[in-house]
Amino acid sequence: MIKTAITFCFCLLLIVCCLRSVSFAEEYKFDISEIEKKPYHLGGYIELSPSLSGLDRDASLYKLKFYNREEGSAIEEYNANLQLEGSYEKGISKLYIKTNTDYKKSYLGDSQKTMVYEGYLSLKPSSSLTVDIGKKTLKWGKGYAWNPVAFVDRPKNPDDPELSLEGFIVASADYIKSFSGPLKTVSFTPVIIPVYDHLNDTLGTKNRLNFAGRLYLLFYDTDIDFIFLSGGSRTTRYGVDFSRNITPSFEIHGEFAFINDYKKKFIDGSGNAYDSVYDAKSYLLGIRYLTEKDTTYIFEYYHNGTGFTVDEMNDYFPYIDNGYNTYLSTGNDSALKRASSLTEGNYGRMNPMKDYLYLRISQKEPFDILYLTPSITGICNINDSSFSLSPELLYTGITNLELRLRMTFIAGERYSEYGEKQNNYRTEFRARYYF
Amino acid sequence: MTKSSITYDLIIIVSLMAMLLVSPAYAVDGTALLKQIDRNLNPESYEMYRKLINIEPDGSKKEFTLFSVKKGADKVAALFLAPASEKGRSTLRLGDNMWLYIPNVGKPIRITSLQSVVGGVFNNADILQLDYAAEYNVEKTEETGNEYLLHLKAKTKTVAYDRIRLWADKNKKLPVKIECLTEANMLIKTLYFKDVKEFGGGIARPSVIETDSPLYKGYKSVMIYANIKKRDFKDEVFTLIFMPNIESLR
Repeated sequence: MIKTAITFCFCLLLIVCCLRSVSFAEEYKFDISEIEKKPYHLGGYIELSPSLSGLDRDASLYKLKFYNREEGSAIEEYNANLQLEGSYEKGISKLYIKTNTDYKKSYLGDSQKTMVYEGYLSLKPSSSLTVDIGKKTLKWGKGYAWNPVAFVDRPKNPDDPELSLEGFIVASADYIKSFSGPLKTVSFTPVIIPVYDHLNDTLGTKNRLNFAGRLYLLFYDTDIDFIFLSGGSRTTRYGVDFSRNITPSFEIHGEFAFINDYKKKFIDGSGNAYDSVYDAKSYLLGIRYLTEKDTTYIFEYYHNGTGFTVDEMNDYFPYIDNGYNTYLSTGNDSALKRASSLTEGNYGRMNPMKDYLYLRISQKEPFDILYLTPSITGICNINDSSFSLSPELLYTGITNLELRLRMTFIAGERYSEYGEKQNNYRTEFRARYYF
Repeated sequence: MTKSSITYDLIIIVSLMAMLLVSPAYAVDGTALLKQIDRNLNPESYEMYRKLINIEPDGSKKEFTLFSVKKGADKVAALFLAPASEKGRSTLRLGDNMWLYIPNVGKPIRITSLQSVVGGVFNNADILQLDYAAEYNVEKTEETGNEYLLHLKAKTKTVAYDRIRLWADKNKKLPVKIECLTEANMLIKTLYFKDVKEFGGGIARPSVIETDSPLYKGYKSVMIYANIKKRDFKDEVFTLIFMPNIESLR
């Protein structure tokens, strides 16, 4: 299977080389028909991404997931993804839809899932006002890897922060006003988020009409947002973020979120469940720095006020291990099933602990190789000193084709976050074609 | 009046007229000339379409099509129309502030003038070009044959190129060649302005800009202009919140 994948990758590279060799025969020209505006648009991308993950058979999360199956030392996955985008404009109105279809072939068999990521009607009576109704992503916050103030968004994956996300069904408006002077722009974005059966029901408590808002200012060349969410599906929360260029090549950004009465669910080493209610404060500070040699550094520190402490994780991981030992000796998997339900959306969320560092170093077009960007990304859990390290090669030299090869290595002591993940490493090749 | 005194007066008048004819009428006002060059290149507020082509040493190309809008001295935005992989991306510049909006990412991120959203020799400052007079002071103006040579110095440290040498056609008052330099006078890139074309509405300007750079040996980038039109916009168009909606201006 892996040989097939490697052969596939090489074939793809060969096709790419052939495509390049035939693409430069004609002279450059600018045909005016290329810029003609049509009322409709259909586009998107298709993506293939085979991957190989090396399993850590001693890790708690391996035991939790694979306790009743034998998959050897590595698992292969073959993913295909189709993202379609369509829009239709007439007068002040625009209909927009984005769907995502995932096909996965893995040790669990074949699976396919199609979802509407976004689909809304947008009305634009003037350049100062936009009203949107439907499913959309709001993407609030200034952080690259994490966004503690993104109260009305699904959490993004810090390993791949630019992936599309599914939105929520909302009614929102954007009112913009520009000024001269140190305050250049003010905008206000009120949002209504209904949460009922089959309507945004993953957001929190049902049968609530929630309100959120964002006030944006461009003040003394600094982007500033004030954000809130209230209404009952989630506890009331407030946030503020900022972003500013200190020099043309040095940007700083930050976010602060205050979550009222956050309820944390956790267990002790014996599996007894507890709730703790407290006001959680999460924050993020980051920089983006570009050197004269076109190296970009993105560095962020994230404090997750809703995260677990080292002690809490030291209760959770042994609980899984004990459940696994019980399963081996008696065949009873009830503790593992309970641990599995506690993991879902809780201990198992992305970066479930308190303090993290993120560093991404990317070098644009090294050795004069146009469109090639090698990079390396590290995410470190400061609390338990475990980390992941992902070197990556990205090539975008062929029009509409994006090739990415990425490896991820993870390391950490026993009962640390990365030390207990099911994988030791993961290699993924991704070919994405836009149309 | 004697005959000799009349002759003497005539000599003085003729000499004065001759001096007026042979000496330059006035010294060139570099700042006014630079402002004139800016206006000849573009109206102060406009919309236009551009195609950017990056050409590699082996001849292979990558093309981008952009729709751009500008207002006043310090507001400019651009929307990528092609290729499909870039469609919907937009960039915004408000003075020294620059942002990039990527539809998948869903929110604008700050970028710098020295980066390039398209790769190749053109950087963001070239793509989101403000008026030269807005960013540079004229240090010296020279006249060489049919051209002016303007030595420009950046007004602030935040400008992409610290120094510029601009050669302009004397008659048309349009750039012919621009050299972009560092503070230490190291050449970063050279822009060549070619094929002056009528765009309508009294706009006649080079329709092609080619650039090469000693930092990218063998590589070349080309910008082709089309449909430049004078147009006024509301200030709200040049805001982060509006970035996903620039298409609605077309």
